[in-house]
Order: sequence, then C-alpha cells, then structure tokens
Amino acid sequence: MSDRKSTALLEVDNLSVDFGEGTRQALSNISFSLGRDEILGIVGETGAGKSLLARSLLNLLPESGRFTSGDIRLEGDTVLGISEAEQRKIRGGRIALIGTNAKALLSPVETVGAQIARVLRAHRDCSQKEAWKAAVDLMVQVGIVNPERRAKAYPHELSGGMAQRIVIAMAMVAGPDVVLADDATLGLDATIQVQVLDLLVKRCRELGAGAVLITHDLGIVAHYCDRVAIMKEGRIVELEEVGKFLAAPKEQYGQALLDAARVRPTPMVARVEDPALETQHETPLLDVRRLLKLFPIAGTQDVVRAIDDVSFSVKRGETLALVGESGSGKTTVGQCLVRLLDSDGGGITFDGADITTMPAAEFRAMRRRIQMVFQEPYVALNPRWPVKALIAEPLRLDPTLDRAATDKRVRQLIDLVQLPAGIAEVYPHQLTAGEQKRVGIARALATRPDFVVFDEPTTALDIRVRAQIIDLVRDLQAEMGMSALFITHDLNSVRSLAHRVAVMRYGKIVEEGDTEMIFSAAKEDYTKALLAAELPVEQGTAQRDRAETRRLAGAAA
Amino acid sequence: MTRFIRYVSRHPGAMVGLTLLALQIASILFAPWLTFYSPEEADPLMSLQPPSAAHWFGTDVSGMDIYTRIVYATRINLLISIVAVAFAFVVGVPIGLLIGFYRNWMSALVMRVFDFIQSFPVFVLGMALVSVMGQEIWNVAIVLAVLFIPMFARLIRAEVLSLRERPYVSAARCSGATDGSIMFRHILPNALTPAIVQVSISIGLAILLTAGLSFVGAGVRMPTPEWGLMVSTGAQQMILGVWWVALFPGLAIVISVLSFALLGDMVKDLSDPTTRERL
Repeated sequence: MSDRKSTALLEVDNLSVDFGEGTRQALSNISFSLGRDEILGIVGETGAGKSLLARSLLNLLPESGRFTSGDIRLEGDTVLGISEAEQRKIRGGRIALIGTNAKALLSPVETVGAQIARVLRAHRDCSQKEAWKAAVDLMVQVGIVNPERRAKAYPHELSGGMAQRIVIAMAMVAGPDVVLADDATLGLDATIQVQVLDLLVKRCRELGAGAVLITHDLGIVAHYCDRVAIMKEGRIVELEEVGKFLAAPKEQYGQALLDAARVRPTPMVARVEDPALETQHETPLLDVRRLLKLFPIAGTQDVVRAIDDVSFSVKRGETLALVGESGSGKTTVGQCLVRLLDSDGGGITFDGADITTMPAAEFRAMRRRIQMVFQEPYVALNPRWPVKALIAEPLRLDPTLDRAATDKRVRQLIDLVQLPAGIAEVYPHQLTAGEQKRVGIARALATRPDFVVFDEPTTALDIRVRAQIIDLVRDLQAEMGMSALFITHDLNSVRSLAHRVAVMRYGKIVEEGDTEMIFSAAKEDYTKALLAAELPVEQGTAQRDRAETRRLAGAAA
Repeated sequence: MTRFIRYVSRHPGAMVGLTLLALQIASILFAPWLTFYSPEEADPLMSLQPPSAAHWFGTDVSGMDIYTRIVYATRINLLISIVAVAFAFVVGVPIGLLIGFYRNWMSALVMRVFDFIQSFPVFVLGMALVSVMGQEIWNVAIVLAVLFIPMFARLIRAEVLSLRERPYVSAARCSGATDGSIMFRHILPNALTPAIVQVSISIGLAILLTAGLSFVGAGVRMPTPEWGLMVSTGAQQMILGVWWVALFPGLAIVISVLSFALLGDMVKDLSDPTTRERL
C-alpha cells in the first residue's frame, strides 16, 4: 500500500487547454495530483472551467478544444497521445465520470438493468445472463431497494436520487481507479444528496479509488473531501488541505467564497415602527386556513392531495419560510397564494379579504399587493423583452403612472436591486443567473407590494451570487418592511432570511416554529432528518470526524 | 440595419437568397425591358426551336419564346403564392393563437374542421374548388390559402400549447397581465418564429402547388405564362428529346423555391434576440 501511495494515482502537470489559435486559455497551467483513497474537491463558480477539466481528464475535449501544454498521468503513464482504443479502455475502465442530472445521462428507451449490463459486458467478458445478475448485485451495493424490479424500470420511472445511484453503479462497474463526480448531486434534495455522497465515498473507499468531487458547494467539500482546489477563470488559485482551508484560506478569492457560504445572522424580529400600528394590525396580514389542493391522477379516479389541510399565517413585516423536499407541495401553496392555481377548499385571507372566492377581475387589482419571485430566473423572464419592459410590466397595474413616471420607477428599481443602469436595454439571455434573479426581484417589488412569495430564491446560483441575493433580500425587507413567504429547500438560506419556519411533507405542515427554535430543538423526526442532511461549512471540521468514521466503516465493509 | 448587413455578409446562404429574390423582383418590375418577344403571342413558324442567340431558352410548341415567358410568369407565380400565403398567415395565426390559448369545445371543433380540410389530397381539393369557382388566377390563390390556413394555425397552436405553460407566462399573470396582453405580447412573439419560417417555405410550396395544379389542368390556362403550366406542356415533348421546354421553367421553380427557403433561415435568425447578437 505504501509504495502505491508513493507514486500518485493521477497526476495533472501544467495542463493548458484552449479553443483554437488566439483564443483565451480555457484552462491554464493546471497541476494537481490525486492519491489512492483520497478525495479531492474542486470548487469554483460557473465558468471557472471545472467541467472542462473533468472532460480533459478523460481526453474528451469539446470540438475545437485542444491541449496546448502539460500532461495527465495515470499511475505514471501518460494518457494523452495514446490510441483511441487505449483511451476507451481508460474511460469508464480506469477513470469513471459521474455527471449532473442522471436522468438525462441514462437512455430513456432501455431499462436501467440492461444499461448497467451493457456497460458490464463492455468491460468484462460475460454472458447476458451473468451481466444481468451482476447488474442487480451492483444495484444492491448502491442501496437500491427491490433491485430485481427496479432493474426492469425505465429511467423516467425512477426518482432523481435513484437515477443517480444507477449512474454511480455504472461508473463503479469496472472498478475504476479514479472517479470524477461532476456536480453529481446538483438538483437533488438535501437528504438524498447526503445519501448519494455517502454512498459514492463509501464505494470509492471499498475500491481503493481516488475521487474528484467537482462542486460549487463548499459544504460538500467541508464534509467529504481531504483536499480542495479552488478554481477561478481556468486556473487553480489555491490547493490546500480542507481543514487548513476552512480555518484560513490563503487567497482572497478563497476567503470570499468561504464568507459567502457562511450563514448570515438571523434577521431581527419582525418590526413595525409604530406601536400604534402594531395593535391596529393584530390580525395577520395573510391567513391561510385549512387549504386544500387536489390534482387528479390521469386515467384514474384517484387524486393527489398536493396541499392537504394546510394552515398558517404571516404577520406584517414577518417572513415565514416554507421548507420541504421536492414534491412536498410547498410550491403549490405559493401558486395558490397568487392564484396561479385555484384551491379546492379552505380559505386564504389577505388583509381581511378572502382571495380564494374573489372574482378574477377584482383579484387583479389585488395583485399589486401580492407579488411572487419565480424560481428559475431565466425561464421566468420573457426572452423577447428587454429588462426595462420586463420591470415595467407590473407597473401597468397602476393606471395613474404615465410613461415618464414608469421610466423613472424602472430606473429606481434597477438601482434598488443593485444592477447597473445600462442593463435596461439588455435581453434576459445576456444576463448572468444572478442578474436575472435580480430582475425577477425588481419585477416583484415594482408595485411596492405588502406581501411577496419567494419561490426558491437561492437555488441554482453560484456561492457568491447566492450570498449576494440573500443579502439583497435581507436589505430590501428591512427597508420596505414587507411580509414574505420563502419557499425553499435550502435550509442554510432559511436561517439567514426567515423569522419563522414551517416544515412541509406530503402536502401537510409537520412542524412550525421560530427559526432558531426549529434549528436548535426540532421536535419532529422529519425536521431532524432535514437538518442532519444540511452541510454547513461551519460544522465542516467538527463533522469531518463523523465523515471519517463513515469512511472507516466503509473501508471495513 | 448594420446588423442586417453584417448578418448577410457572414451568411452566404442569405446572400444567395437575397440575390435570387432581387432577380425575381426585377423580373416582375422590368419584364417588358428584360425580354424581346411577347409572352402570349404564338409564332407557329418558330415552333420548338432549341436554345440559340435569338431564343436563349428556345421556343415551345406554339413558337413562344421560353425565356420571355419565364420572366413574365414570375409575376403570376409570385403574386398567387404571396397573396395566398399572406392571407393564410393573417387568418391562420390568430386562429391558432386562440385555439391554443383557450381550450374548449370551440377550439376542438376548429381543429376537426382543419382535420377535414387537410385530410383531402391537395390536388383533389384544388381541382374540386377550381372547377366549382372557375379557372381564375384568384381562385387558385384562394384554394392555396384555404389549404395553408390550417397549417399556420396548427403550427401556432402547437407553440402556444407549450408556451402558455412557461413560467414567464405565470409571472406575467402575477404582474397583472390580462389574457389579451399575455396572448399578444408574451406568447405570440415567441410563437411566431416557426410560422415566419413557414411563410417562406409555404411560398415555395405554393409555387410548386400552383405549378402542380396547372400541370394537372386545374390551374391557370394557356396561354397565360405560368411555370407549372410550361413544365406541363414541355413534359409531353421531353420524350422526343426536346428538353428545353420543360427544363428552364423547372429551373425557375427550383430557384424561386430555394430563394424563399434561404430567406426563411435568415428571417428566423434575425427575429430571435437570443441568436441576434451572435451573428
């Protein structure tokens, strides 16, 4: 074992990649090494070149991409400049890649068992029958319950986490030396993410493989990795042991990322400036009573109870976070509040008026006071409208505004969400994800609403952008004193944003309480499970021991 | 405008399409100055002359100059096609928008009517309508328009069906947009691209159909210069080795159809802000 460790398993030496003569270097002078049993985290924001690096390691550069310098060595032997046939043996055989969005990686027209078996037969000489049996065994190893039945399932019949396990099983088929996981848990629920990462790390330990976890989540690095490489603009700016990095990053950029990943202090208690006002408005601004929303299941008489007897209320100036995993019904609640969906029972009272029974025309006037920030920043903006038109749209709800007043208000809003003034003429696709999000927020705030629903305000954003958006929302709320409902599965942001938390599961609220109370003393097992799945960087070093035990357990197994 | 020039300079296809369009427009405007004979005057003595300096593309069985007739035919062919397609676009697009946006028994009924129209073979329908209404140029245009309306409506409807579920439509609704505003300001501009591309393809198709209807005798009549009719009369002599009578009008059809196909790509690229500035 010791002499195996002396030569690194994977060595990347001064690697540079560009896209043709005279273009910017997409990767420049990348050097790192990976030992057996080591887990290296590669962290960077969108466009840092992380995924390109992963593809380079497999010598699968996109078209027109080329290596301009450097070498990649696997146990001392170069993998660049060898024949295509030899490269194929390395890909999947000795270096395996696990990508994002497992469902898209699996072929939709073949059962997952057959797909695993095919990979098996590509690397091992065995009959169809043996391969199928081995595939089922592999599915057991990646923790799939009922593997015989699941093996006959098509990818669309599986959940995201299940599909990711299948992809991991496929990657592990040939017993690779190096596993590259490129944002392998992106878009999965936190509890599933932890299970998948635990599994991945355990399997790597069992095989004695080295792993490279490419991610934008420092929490994952803190909890799972031995060393971390921080990438920026195609370079590795910092390469350090995780413990040392978390304690004191050497580079400013690393420090900035780490700061951004930390939790902000809880917002102050809901404040209303005027105590007289407070008594006057003792009734909550928004009161949801026994809300019910059913979706029929196509072709049957059955229904899904997407919202099942949900009650909560939000006071003026207060922020309630609605947390839960995908499918818990939290987004449906938000959509009922802004009447994108009609509820099937119960009532929603906003400032004394029941908005579920209000005629649509009357509710339209109400929309000035209830606004929503949509989840995916890009698709919620009409691609053919420039930013100024997008922000001006809700202002049409106010017929007193003339053209000049509208323009002025648009400029103020652009300024309010801290975007440059020149952005007014730009189209959504020319914006970064963070800028798109800001435009979405500006739209929602245009009419100075009393109540805003934020649907997943922080998902799919880079670490620093996420922190900026959290700060922006905090500032805006303090400034405008509005009430808000935060719909999210990102517990980390809940702590920074919400006064109270309601936990949803299967369409019901299972627990509700003040933010600090929920985080420090949750009563329900489900809430505890959600909290345990969180990977805050603060607890990284402490929980590394836990990860270590998990790892040892894996090695022993 | 600069964007347009830059686009054309970088896309040879657009350049070719524009050049061919200019050629056709020139033929329409300046036919009398571009040609040396009368398009409809027979000269039996000059029957079936092969291409020569006097008759560039030769003459047909009645002795009419083929080059002259091809140039004059541009007027009739493009007129029929553009009028038919424009009419179909103007009628079909709003219908498609409405039946895509409002899903009720009315929209279902409209769809069944479209199925009915489209289930007929094109030529049977064309021949039936023309025989009822008379073999006039305008009737050919109306037949084509009736055929194309369901095409545009279906195309728009399919786009609307997917676009109406987009988050930005929900977002617009939350911003207080009315149905009309959502349909015309949000959905229509995004649904239009395939229909606009379809315009140029349809013009090409209309030229082919006009020619086809003439070929089977349901279109315009001799001696009106029309490409399809010319191909049809020429086809009979093809077997005798008289190739020029059918070939040149056939080439005219190809060039005209090609030019509109190329222009369709250009319009698609230029109308989409997500591809526009990359050009």
